[in-house]
Amino acid sequence: MAYHSPYRPPPHISHPPDQGFLWNIFQRVDKDRSGVISDSELQQALSNGTWTPFNPVTVRSIISMFDRENKGGVNFNEFAGVWKYITDWQNIFRTYDRDNSGFIDKNELKQALTGFGYRLSDQFYGTLIEKFDRQRKGQVAFDDFIQCCIVLQRLTDVFRQYDTDQDGWIQVSYEQYLSMVFNIV
Amino acid sequence: MAYHGYGAAPGGFPPAQQDPMYGYFAAVAGQDGQISADELQRCLTQSGMSGSYKPFSLETCRLMISMLDRDYSSTMGFNEFKELGQVLTGWRNVFASYDRDHSGTVEGHELQQAIAGLGYNLSPQAMNIIMKRFSTNGRIPFDEFVSCCVKLRALTDQFRRRDQSQTGHASFGYDDFIQVTMNI
Repeated sequence: MAYHSPYRPPPHISHPPDQGFLWNIFQRVDKDRSGVISDSELQQALSNGTWTPFNPVTVRSIISMFDRENKGGVNFNEFAGVWKYITDWQNIFRTYDRDNSGFIDKNELKQALTGFGYRLSDQFYGTLIEKFDRQRKGQVAFDDFIQCCIVLQRLTDVFRQYDTDQDGWIQVSYEQYLSMVFNIV
Repeated sequence: MAYHGYGAAPGGFPPAQQDPMYGYFAAVAGQDGQISADELQRCLTQSGMSGSYKPFSLETCRLMISMLDRDYSSTMGFNEFKELGQVLTGWRNVFASYDRDHSGTVEGHELQQAIAGLGYNLSPQAMNIIMKRFSTNGRIPFDEFVSCCVKLRALTDQFRRRDQSQTGHASFGYDDFIQVTMNI
């Protein structure tokens, strides 16, 4: 069944980065030296390969994933997680951007998501590109690719919450359906 | 009964007639007679469809196209554009009736009343989620109101199709759930 397969970035067997190396990066990104990297500081440090700012919605999602104290940013300890998360995504993106264009087109997206375990219709990949492609190129840049995967993951998580017998089906009331979805899309 | 109905489509539609909107549409549409989200954005502004409110965001335009996009082309033809115009007029009238101070925004509780006025019968919990999702500092601008209405209409439509006997409950398989939700 499609959604029992792992859809998170496949574990990348990388050596944990040297703490000194990470600290250097942290200091460079933490421009105001507050000890906490904010959304805007992280956004400025990340590149989507298009010379336009990194998707702020994606930045927010990433920070909130690792911000354990709800402070609106990440400290050095939490930053290690952020660094690994982004590095993993970079590796995945490079893996599936087969023509090295710096963008993932519909076919490459299909390969990637199928690789993660999703079984979706061909037409749907077109819908995903249309929905997430902020550059209006008909392909997704690095940040939009991450955003697409994050949303798919959230929808899968919420579906799982309701699929108590894990048979791939849920029965929901109209209100439950709205609540499930409005929080995500 | 647990559920009272999904809500009506907004407004009544005036009979089709020779449409002055065609001029605005043709001005942006290419030879294929279809318009994309950014062209729709221009078209709606030029034709005064956003009224005195700020122009629609590109994201809202993309939503409006997908709401009526029956051939999955991600573009809109003239008939769909006409239909959109009628729907928007209905929503704009509802919004305007609550935007009494003409600020271009409505407050949370007014959004609740507006949504109820459109025929949606939602619990306070569901309305809370919606209000949080679409408001900034407790206020909802027209563009976000339209975004909310489009999503509500699309989600309700999808739910209805899976609850033909109107029990108020529907079943979704996983693949279907993902695709339906992402299409909105």
